[in-house]
Amino acid sequence: MHTRRQFVVRGTKLVGVGAAAAATGPTIFVRDAKAAGQLKILQWSHFVPAYDKWFDPFAKDWGAKKGIEVTVDHVGFADVVPRATAEVAAQSGHDIHMFIGLASAFEEHVIDLKDVSTTLEKKYGKPVELATRSTYNPFTRKQFAISDMWVPDPGNYHKEIWTKIGKPNGPVTYDDLVWAAPEVKKAAPQMQIPIGIGLSQDIDSNMAVRNMLWCHGGSIQDKDGNVVLNSPETLRAVEYAKKLYSVGMTQAVLSWNAASNNQAFNAQETSYILNSISAYRTAQDNKLPVLDHYYFVPALKGPTGIQLASEHVMSGYVIWKFSKNQDAAKEFLVALIDASRESMLGSKLYNFPSYYGAAAEAGTPMTKKAESGAAWIAAQCNKDPFGSNPPDKLALLAKSLPWSTNLGYPGYANPAEGEIFDTYVLTDMFAKAATGALSPKDAMMEASTRAKEIFNKWRQKKMVGGGKDK
Amino acid sequence: MTSTAAVPVAPVLHAGDTIRRSDRRLGVVMLAPAVTYIALLVALPFLLALFLSLTNSSAGSLEFSFVGLSNFRAVIASPVFQRALRNTFVFTFVSQLAVIVLGNVLARALMRPFFGKTLARFLILMPWAAPISLATLGWLWIFDSTFSVINWVLKVAGWLGPGQWYYWLGDTTLGMVAIVTIHVWRMLPFSTVILLAGLTSIPNEVREASAIDGAGTLARIFQIEIPMMRPILTVAVLFGVVFTFTDMSVVYLLTRGGPYNSTHVLASLAFQDGVLGGDVGRGASVAIFLVPVLVVLAIVMLRSSRRAEVV
Repeated sequence: MHTRRQFVVRGTKLVGVGAAAAATGPTIFVRDAKAAGQLKILQWSHFVPAYDKWFDPFAKDWGAKKGIEVTVDHVGFADVVPRATAEVAAQSGHDIHMFIGLASAFEEHVIDLKDVSTTLEKKYGKPVELATRSTYNPFTRKQFAISDMWVPDPGNYHKEIWTKIGKPNGPVTYDDLVWAAPEVKKAAPQMQIPIGIGLSQDIDSNMAVRNMLWCHGGSIQDKDGNVVLNSPETLRAVEYAKKLYSVGMTQAVLSWNAASNNQAFNAQETSYILNSISAYRTAQDNKLPVLDHYYFVPALKGPTGIQLASEHVMSGYVIWKFSKNQDAAKEFLVALIDASRESMLGSKLYNFPSYYGAAAEAGTPMTKKAESGAAWIAAQCNKDPFGSNPPDKLALLAKSLPWSTNLGYPGYANPAEGEIFDTYVLTDMFAKAATGALSPKDAMMEASTRAKEIFNKWRQKKMVGGGKDK
Repeated sequence: MTSTAAVPVAPVLHAGDTIRRSDRRLGVVMLAPAVTYIALLVALPFLLALFLSLTNSSAGSLEFSFVGLSNFRAVIASPVFQRALRNTFVFTFVSQLAVIVLGNVLARALMRPFFGKTLARFLILMPWAAPISLATLGWLWIFDSTFSVINWVLKVAGWLGPGQWYYWLGDTTLGMVAIVTIHVWRMLPFSTVILLAGLTSIPNEVREASAIDGAGTLARIFQIEIPMMRPILTVAVLFGVVFTFTDMSVVYLLTRGGPYNSTHVLASLAFQDGVLGGDVGRGASVAIFLVPVLVVLAIVMLRSSRRAEVV
């Protein structure tokens, strides 16, 4: 026999215990399954907002011509992967999902886009090598994504300050940064952070530390997918970061988010950052005082002579297996790459076509398409249609392909590299060594152990090759 | 011969039985939505998390195999997890201590009559009502390592000399200070309102009697008011502890666990490993470590609320 009070008390207990347990459970929001004649695209909110104003009408207009109702949903860059996770768990959501980094972890749930890739290659020739290495898994032989664009990641330097210290053309090598840091402090004591390379848990820092690692001869994996992080080259890179941090950086770089280096440079609180041109476009849009001093340099050279920078963004469009509009989705991806010129202009030269041939003059023979496309890209960079002063300020971007590479260099991008990226294994290694939280060697060993764990886990799932780890 | 065939006797219904039966039905009906909600949206995900923690499940896959306790062994050995576990307790304990002390002070201030009291109450409630994502963006600027408004004020006030700067989010200790500060700011209104209700419920006669008996302010607070408020105080503390222990929003929005994964709490680390990193099994095993503490807290909470009911 229960009284109402007992009932309520017991019920309350259930609610209490349930509420406690709720903290451990995921929350999933997914849209309803699509109907026929519709195409749903999940797209990031572009770092250059003008691009979204081009993309959304482009997608809708394309759909209108085909009799397909196209819906474009935007999410912040940090929500691209969580959203994909939710949609895979629900086996429902959008037809096309755009990744700005590595889509490889979702390979099992996307269709093979070999036919789209073949169609595009027949039309425009091969994509740039770093796009292939970011969208194709040689281990499973699957074209899991199609890339329409990638973004160069040059150095941004404050010309006035660097002129004062005797290097008007900016740094060329990583050693230049160590040399310049105390000089910048003398020339511009008001600047808080002489050299602004992030060592924090954010996307830009993740790329910056990879650049440092590669240019010192190190890498996470070799070309066959074996973990080789534990190496004298890695140790040299980490020791370099420690030195640079001690002479030219502050604890601020340990806390930066994706916008922080832009903000620091635009506020003239640092003389050098690694970033795409989005920060520069912001300075232009807001007519900031830094604009006249805003200049670019290519990737820096390491002591090995290696000059490499990670792409800043690599698009990877996937089509989910659960999509009921796969044919329309494939057609859309081809149409998007057909519009590579408009895409580059829509993004104010932020996006670079993954298929250079798609930017070629109409009627160019197939063998000359890539060359013609490169010439068109160079023409835009040499005379920026978006008001750079001087107009050739972005000219170096036209020559950025040789010093740009993919996440996972010298191998292919894969899920293990993705997990290492997203859980900040490398930035932590550099930051711990730089701040003295761990010795460079201990930081490297800790990161190497974690990298091997992650690679082994993905090898067990048969999605990553290698196995002869160092 | 006399027939003694049994004659069916209608059951004698007592008024009390009927009421109890209808009470029971009413109870079932009233609780059904809550029980269904808990079963579908709480119990099921919890069991799923428990299940996934024993597998090598990844974000992009629906296939997995059982790996026993290896996820738990791996996370226990991880320095990042050990740090996050410690941070979770520090975060919870320090922020709740601050919330209860400050909540008491505020509630007592709000008990007294003063001009603009209604406006003050409204403003105090604002942090509770504001979306945490928006509020944290404001705090992000306040604690920004380069542009911190606190630092600029301290600089102008002469507290910080040349070359001196507080890197709020770039320092492990200051990062935790920032996280705790925002959480206290966020939880304080709720605690204040609860404590204010508790204080208001104490009859004035008790206070007057204590004054006549010669009790000073401290004696009144610690020997009369706090003991009388204990049930409601316990509920406020336990609710705050559960809420804080499971919260990841402030950490995720403010530091993302940095610098070098040193300011994570268990909930934010579980999200980073399980959702961002794609290692669902590992993420679930980190989250599961919350459960024993939460179960103990839930039991204490329910017992204390029952005691409060009896009182």
